[in-house]
Amino acid sequence: MLSGRAAVAGIGATEFSKESGRSELRLAAEAVLAALDDAGLSPADVDGLVTFSQDANQEIAVAREVGVGDLTYFSRVEYGGGAACATVAHAAMAVATGMARTVVCYRAFNERSGRRFGQPDARLGGQPTSQGLEMSWHVPFGLMTPAAWVAMFARRYMHTFGATSEDFGRVAVAMRRHAATNPAAWFHGRPITLEEHQASRWIVEPLRLLDCCQESDGAVALVVTSAERARDLRRSPAVIAAAAQGSAAGQLMMTSYYRDDMSGLPEMGVVGRRLWEMSGLSPSDIRIAILYDHFTPFVLAQLEELGFCGRGEAPAYIADGGIELDGRLPVNPHGGQLGEAYIHGMNGIAEAVRQIRGTAANQLDGVANVLVTAGTGVPTSGLILSAG
Amino acid sequence: MSEERDVLPELSIDLTPTLVVATALATMDPTPVHHDPALARAQGSKDIFLNILTTMGLVERYVTDWAGPAAVIRRIDVKLGVPAYAGDRLSLTGAVVSRADGELTVEVRGAVSLGDHAIGTVTLTLPEGEDPC
Amino acid sequence: MRNALTDEELHELAAKQTALGELRGTPAVDPVNVPMIRHWLAAMGDENPVYLERGLAPPAMAQVWTMPGLRRAVKDRSPVDELMAALDASGYTGVVATNCEQVHHRYARVGEVLTPATRFTSLAGPKRTALGVGFFATWNITWYAADDEPVAEMLFRVLKFRPREKKPARTPYPLRPAVNQDTAFFWEGVRQGELRVQSCADCGLLRHPPGPLCPQCRSANRSYAVASGHGTLYSYVVHHRPPVPGRETPFVVGVVELPEGVRVVGNVVDCPIEEVAVGMPLRVTYRPMDDELVLPMWTPGEP
Repeated sequence: MLSGRAAVAGIGATEFSKESGRSELRLAAEAVLAALDDAGLSPADVDGLVTFSQDANQEIAVAREVGVGDLTYFSRVEYGGGAACATVAHAAMAVATGMARTVVCYRAFNERSGRRFGQPDARLGGQPTSQGLEMSWHVPFGLMTPAAWVAMFARRYMHTFGATSEDFGRVAVAMRRHAATNPAAWFHGRPITLEEHQASRWIVEPLRLLDCCQESDGAVALVVTSAERARDLRRSPAVIAAAAQGSAAGQLMMTSYYRDDMSGLPEMGVVGRRLWEMSGLSPSDIRIAILYDHFTPFVLAQLEELGFCGRGEAPAYIADGGIELDGRLPVNPHGGQLGEAYIHGMNGIAEAVRQIRGTAANQLDGVANVLVTAGTGVPTSGLILSAG
Repeated sequence: MSEERDVLPELSIDLTPTLVVATALATMDPTPVHHDPALARAQGSKDIFLNILTTMGLVERYVTDWAGPAAVIRRIDVKLGVPAYAGDRLSLTGAVVSRADGELTVEVRGAVSLGDHAIGTVTLTLPEGEDPC
Repeated sequence: MRNALTDEELHELAAKQTALGELRGTPAVDPVNVPMIRHWLAAMGDENPVYLERGLAPPAMAQVWTMPGLRRAVKDRSPVDELMAALDASGYTGVVATNCEQVHHRYARVGEVLTPATRFTSLAGPKRTALGVGFFATWNITWYAADDEPVAEMLFRVLKFRPREKKPARTPYPLRPAVNQDTAFFWEGVRQGELRVQSCADCGLLRHPPGPLCPQCRSANRSYAVASGHGTLYSYVVHHRPPVPGRETPFVVGVVELPEGVRVVGNVVDCPIEEVAVGMPLRVTYRPMDDELVLPMWTPGEP
C-alpha cells in the first residue's frame, strides 16, 4: 500500500504574476531550487523528476539547470491540470518502490504572458490523433475554449438541480474573500461581492467572467521523499495518506457529453472512492479541501462527487457558508486559482502542505487531513495529505 | 474523280508560342493575350492563343496548299469556337462539298484538344483543268 | 462611366448606329507591300508562290493592311465602339467572336492603298448562351481601293455576354475537423445531407462519437444508420468571448439528444438566443462553411 509511505518534504514557488519576464525553464529551476531549500536538501539529493505532459520544460533540462546529476526516475502525467496531484502520486510510488529517493514535482509556465489556454486555437482539431479526432466533434462548431466546455456541463447541472448563476457566484466570492487576506495571492486585498459577480460580463453563458479563474505566470515545485526520511528533514512532513488518479467510462477531454449523465464528474468519483479506501478516512475526517477551481461550477460537482454533500445539494451547502474559512469544509483557504494564482493546481498542493505545517496565510486550526484535487472535466487525480 | 479525292489531306500544325506570337505580329495585332502568357493567364486564359486573323490565314493556307497556286479565293466563312492555345495542335481537315461552274466550296474544320476551334467553308474558283480532284 | 441601358435602350442605340450607315476610316498607312506579305506568308507557313510571283496580297490579309498595330491613338472612329461601350456598361462585359466571313472581290495588288469603311449591321438579343445571357453584335467592313472599288468585305460578329456570377472561392473555414478512416463516413454523410450514426454490423449498437470497434461486442464490422434528423436540446452554451476564428459572436453550441439514442454536438441556429432552452425540439440542417466543409446544425423543430 502506498498510504503513509511518502511525504511532501518541501515546497517552493516563484512569485505569481501576469508577466514573469523570464523563461519558463528559469521559472521551473527557481521553483525547484526553492522547494529543495525549503526541504533542506540540495540538487545533489534529487534522483527523480515528475511533471505534466503539457509542461514545456523537460526533466533533463531542469536537471541541467539546477545541477541535478543522475536521474533514476522521471515521468510525465497527461491531461492538463488533471495531472497536478498525480505528479505527487507518481513521485510517491517511485519513492515507495525504491525507484528513486528524492523526487521533485514541478509545473512552470507563462500562461498569461505566453500561451494562454483560454484562447481559441484552430489547431486543436487538426490532427487525426485520438485527441484531435475527439476535439473534431466540437471544435468545428466553435466549442473550443475551456470555459465553453465547462459551461456545457454547468447548464445541464443548472437544469437538473435548479442551480443558478448565483450558486456559482458564491464560490467566486468565497475564493476572492480568502485570497484577500493571502499576501501571495494575485487578488490580495481585492474581494468581490455577489453583485459584482452577477454584473460581470458573459464569457460563455452560463459562465460569467468572475466564474473563470485568472491566468498566471509562475511555477511551483514539491519535494517528495519517504515519510521516514521526511521526518528528519527541516520541515514537518505532509504525509501522503492517499493518492489516486481517475478516469471514468466514456471519458473525453473536457467534453464527456456522451455519458448517460452530464451533471456530475464521475472521474472525480473514481478518485474520491480510491482516496477514502486508501486512507481509511471519510469526508468527516477532512478539515480542509483544496478543490480545483478553474471554473466555479465544478467546485459544486466535486463537493458532491467526493461525498461532502449529496447530489444536487452543493448549492445549499455553499449558500449555507459551507466552504468559508469558518464553514463545515473550508475550501481553498489560499483563495484557490480564482484568487491566488492559476498554476495548474500545483499551488493548491503547496497550500495543503502549509496548512498541515501550520504556516498558511489563512491558517486554520487542528488541521490533520487535507484533501486536494486536480483538474476537472479531464482525467484527474487527488491526494489526502496528513500531519505526521 | 473519286469520292476519296474530294477529301483534303489533313494538316496538323503545332501551335508553338513562336507561331502564336509570329502570326500575331504578322497580322499587326499587338493585343497582349496573343503574346504575353502572364497577362493572358491573368485574364482567365490558359495561355496565349491564336488571333482571328491568323485563323483566317491558316484556313486559307490549308485550302490553297491543296488547291494549288491557280486557285482564287472568293469567300472564307468561319464560325469560331474554342480558343487555340499555345502548346496545343491545330488539326485541319476538309472536304469538297460543292462544285459547279468552276467554283468549289470546301468545308474546313480546325480542331484543337478542347474541341472545334473553327468550322467553315472556303469558296474558290479554279481555271479549267486546274481542279486538284 | 456610362449608365447601364435597358435591353430596349440598347436596341435603340443599335438602330441609331445602324442608321449612321458606312463610316469611312483612315486609309492604310502603308500600301500593300512585299515585305509584309513575305512576313505574313512565313508566319502562316504558306508556301503558295502566286503572291510574290504576281505581286498579289493573300486575300486573308485584307484586314492586316488597315490594322492600327501599336499606333493605337490613330484608331478610327467606328459606329461599333459606342455600342460596345454601352453593352459593357450594361453588364455585358464578356466578349467572344463568333463569326468571321470574308468575301474577296479580287486580290489586292502591291502598291495599292486600301481604305476601310465600317457599318453597324445588327444587334440581336438578349439570348441565352452557354457563356451567359448576351447580345450578338454584327458589323461589316469593306476595303476600298482607288475609285471606291471594293476589294474585300468582311462580316464580323461577336457575342457580348453577361459573365455568369463566378462564386468567388469562399475563404476556407478555419475550424476544420481531423478526419480518419473511423470518422470519414460521418463527414461524407453531412456533405450529402445525412446525419450518420455508426452502428455495429454485428450487434447493432449505435454509437457517437464513432470509433474503430464496437465497445459492446468488439466487432470491427461497422455500418451506419441515417438518423431521422430530429433531436432534443440536452444542454447548450452561448459563446460570447473570446472571439472564435470563423465565427461571429454570440453563437450557440448545444448537445443534442437524438431519438436514436445518441448525442451529438452542433450549433443551434435560426433561433433567437433568448428562446434557446434545454428540452427544445430541434431539426437538423446542413450548412456549408466553405467550398469543402459542411457542418450539421440544428434549428427549432416540431416536437
